[in-house]
Amino acid sequence: MSDFDLDHILKKLKEKGFDDYALELFSSQTEQVRFSGNSEDLYNNWNQTTLVIFASRKQRVVSTTVRDPASLDSSIQLLWDLSGKIPNNPAFQGINPDKQKRYGNRKLKGQDYDLQDFATTLINSALESGAERTAGIVYNRKHNITVKTEYNQCSYTTGGLEAVIRSFKGNSSGQEARHFGLSTKVDSSMIAEIGRESSEPLNHNNTPISIEPGKFDVIMSPYVIGNLISNSSDFLSYYSVESSLSCFADSLNKDVSSKEFTLVDDPLDSSGVGFRACDDEATATRKNTLIENGVLKGFMHSYSTSRHAQTATTGNAGIITPHAWQLKILPGKKSIEEIMLEMDEGLLINNCWYTRYQDYRNAVFSTVPRDGVFYVKNGEIQGLVSGIRISDSIPNVLRNVADISRETKNVKWWEEISASSMPYVLSKKIGISRAF
Amino acid sequence: MDGDLIHKILDYASSKSAYAEVRYMGLSVNQLGFRNGEFQGLSFSSEQGYAIRVLNRSISMGFSNSSDWNKVKGVVDRAIEKSNFEGKNQIYQGKAIKDSWKVNVRKKVEDFSIEDKVSIIKENDSVMESSGASVRVNSLTDKRIKQMYVNSIGSEIQGDISRINYFYLVGVIEDGEFEQSVEQYGSSSGFEYIDGLSLPERIEQDINDLHESAAAPRINPGKFDIIVGPEISGIVAHESCGHPTEYDRINGREGALAGESFLTGRKLPMKIGSPAVNVVDDPSMEGSFGYYTYDDEGIPSRKRYLYKNGETNEFILNRESAAHLGTESNAGGRSASWDMEPLARMSTTYIEPGEYKFDELFAGIRRGVYINSFTEWNIDDIRFNEKYVGKEAYFITNGDISGRVRRPVIETNTIKFYSSVDAVANDLEFNAGTCGKGDPMQGVDVWMGGPHMRLREVYLQ
Repeated sequence: MSDFDLDHILKKLKEKGFDDYALELFSSQTEQVRFSGNSEDLYNNWNQTTLVIFASRKQRVVSTTVRDPASLDSSIQLLWDLSGKIPNNPAFQGINPDKQKRYGNRKLKGQDYDLQDFATTLINSALESGAERTAGIVYNRKHNITVKTEYNQCSYTTGGLEAVIRSFKGNSSGQEARHFGLSTKVDSSMIAEIGRESSEPLNHNNTPISIEPGKFDVIMSPYVIGNLISNSSDFLSYYSVESSLSCFADSLNKDVSSKEFTLVDDPLDSSGVGFRACDDEATATRKNTLIENGVLKGFMHSYSTSRHAQTATTGNAGIITPHAWQLKILPGKKSIEEIMLEMDEGLLINNCWYTRYQDYRNAVFSTVPRDGVFYVKNGEIQGLVSGIRISDSIPNVLRNVADISRETKNVKWWEEISASSMPYVLSKKIGISRAF
Repeated sequence: MDGDLIHKILDYASSKSAYAEVRYMGLSVNQLGFRNGEFQGLSFSSEQGYAIRVLNRSISMGFSNSSDWNKVKGVVDRAIEKSNFEGKNQIYQGKAIKDSWKVNVRKKVEDFSIEDKVSIIKENDSVMESSGASVRVNSLTDKRIKQMYVNSIGSEIQGDISRINYFYLVGVIEDGEFEQSVEQYGSSSGFEYIDGLSLPERIEQDINDLHESAAAPRINPGKFDIIVGPEISGIVAHESCGHPTEYDRINGREGALAGESFLTGRKLPMKIGSPAVNVVDDPSMEGSFGYYTYDDEGIPSRKRYLYKNGETNEFILNRESAAHLGTESNAGGRSASWDMEPLARMSTTYIEPGEYKFDELFAGIRRGVYINSFTEWNIDDIRFNEKYVGKEAYFITNGDISGRVRRPVIETNTIKFYSSVDAVANDLEFNAGTCGKGDPMQGVDVWMGGPHMRLREVYLQ
């Protein structure tokens, strides 16, 4: 039960003289267990209520975060005072006024789990599968969210379980980072499987192999392609296009990848923690196809950016900056084993991090592989490669996609991978650099 | 809520725990931004809450922003209950300290008008536009933190902190070639910091450099003697010294996130590189972005030599990692908000200046490259294999600058980098940054810095 009365707050904003407003109320219960060295480090629990108020007055846009109901009146007064002192935002076209007919699944409920028991299960299953030591995090989140505007109101529950484990053996490591939305009931056997999978790279041929920089065929695990797609998804936001910072700016309805590749944003899939029934301006979310069989089909929009582009909102507000909710690369037909067997020579990369761009406009980046980087020849792993980077551009990685596995994983990891569902992706002639 | 429950919470938590502490933090943040000449919006937040940590058979934390005792008590009870699960349960306790401290401010952030803030950004955006930047993003953030820390040993510390942060991103296109620059300036002070920055002049120079770099030739890969500028010395100090000496990385606690350290399992002290190199982390430097007199665990701050004369010397410790190492905390415990745990963090990390004058570094370089600043960078999760892509860079021929070079790449490792240093200049500059670590992610304010340095026989690509 929240201490914030949204009807009353909306009425106050209207009486004050604001001409547009959106309220987003989060009531969240979150538990976390952190572990390392095969034992628990810390149990954390949060129980918080947060109200975000967005308001505009003749396109002068202000927003605030309120946690204490006692400070609500003073916050609204400050919003009003400040909105009289700032320039207008000509890009802001108002909150979506269209009455929403229906929202996605609003009957989901948070689930209770014994996270300390799950952490122990993760650790033990990894150790039984060959790991010498482990580190990780388990989360259980329940968010009750209400978004209210002058025109619409949407309430729903999201969250779920997240399990991250990194397994080590000598200088080798493997990692799994999975998420389960509220429509999935997670049990110990599912957690144990994650622990086992995190140890799989430790049991491959780990003979050190040195490679020279150049172009390589690369099988990117769900974590690697998940990282690259997460880090580049803003280029598919129309805000980036308008900012002159998108490599896809002039590519609408043109080929941007090989025909094997289809990318969707699917916030209505409640098997993942990225589930959302509405966006920040109470527009009903929907499954949006961004790239279909290699062709760029559309950008992510809020109501404001959709007006600039003379199209419809896609339900991706961020009112000012639209963004993705839960990305998916649609699966292919072959198994990962078949893709591997067909590889003459190349690399299998299990994870990466620290993706950074030297050129946002052309999406020129590098990222650092970790947790199992294997040299593959004639379909077999020959040994372990270290000290390399993927140094290329996002357009080049997408254009050179040659195969996509039928297996997918729900992946989400720290700040590196947003909640998404990703397959293995083979991309050919990818730039690999190394340290000298 | 103004922290008035803090002693009641501590008394209750202490009565049921072997050790307890409570931190109250009130945090007010204002931010406004422009994109390509258009105002984007103003956001502000004012929030406060309690972080409660208890130790029994393991360590648990609870976070509450309620002023209702029954709700807060529920959070404390849950933390106590969970702390009876078996786990690590060592924490450095030390002695009781009672004190208060504050950041010295001449122009208070709350007294600086919104109109003045808008005016600062507008002027900078105008300079960007007139300098030919086609991408222009500006934001200005000010932050005020009031904090109280108490623990069951008897410590009681109050802090009052003010910070300013200016961020910009610019991009230029020259004959179809794009170049970008991302810069951040920050200080623990009031708005007098912005007055002293001369931002319009810095921005104009930065954009002029981008235009010239976009038209410059690429390098033919090979070995060069190089001179790196303070911005690169700073990022190297931060990434390949500061991070690997955070002890919660060395002992594996951050293993599933930002990773471990190349120092994990090594015999210490370990030789890192040239004896000319000393790397310091100093939270007690007044005015620095990461300045504090006491850390977020109530430990008095001091200067720390992380690498000394080319060898490992000291680690960054919070209360938890100090206990793991069996020593005292050296005040590395920082938390980005009231609802996050304190982790072992950097503050101002820099390579100490040497004795050379800047001009003297060029002497004896027949074929080299001067890389003054960087754009893309990254490093592996043990902080050993690193990459820095030059932004403002020049060829050196027979000791003189001989034209610009575009995006030269240093891709090397920590030992090779520090071992290649043969001369360290007597200058020193700092850049601001927001260092990320932990889950939930905690961005903390830091400075990174150093002098110009000369390195011999570095492979550039």
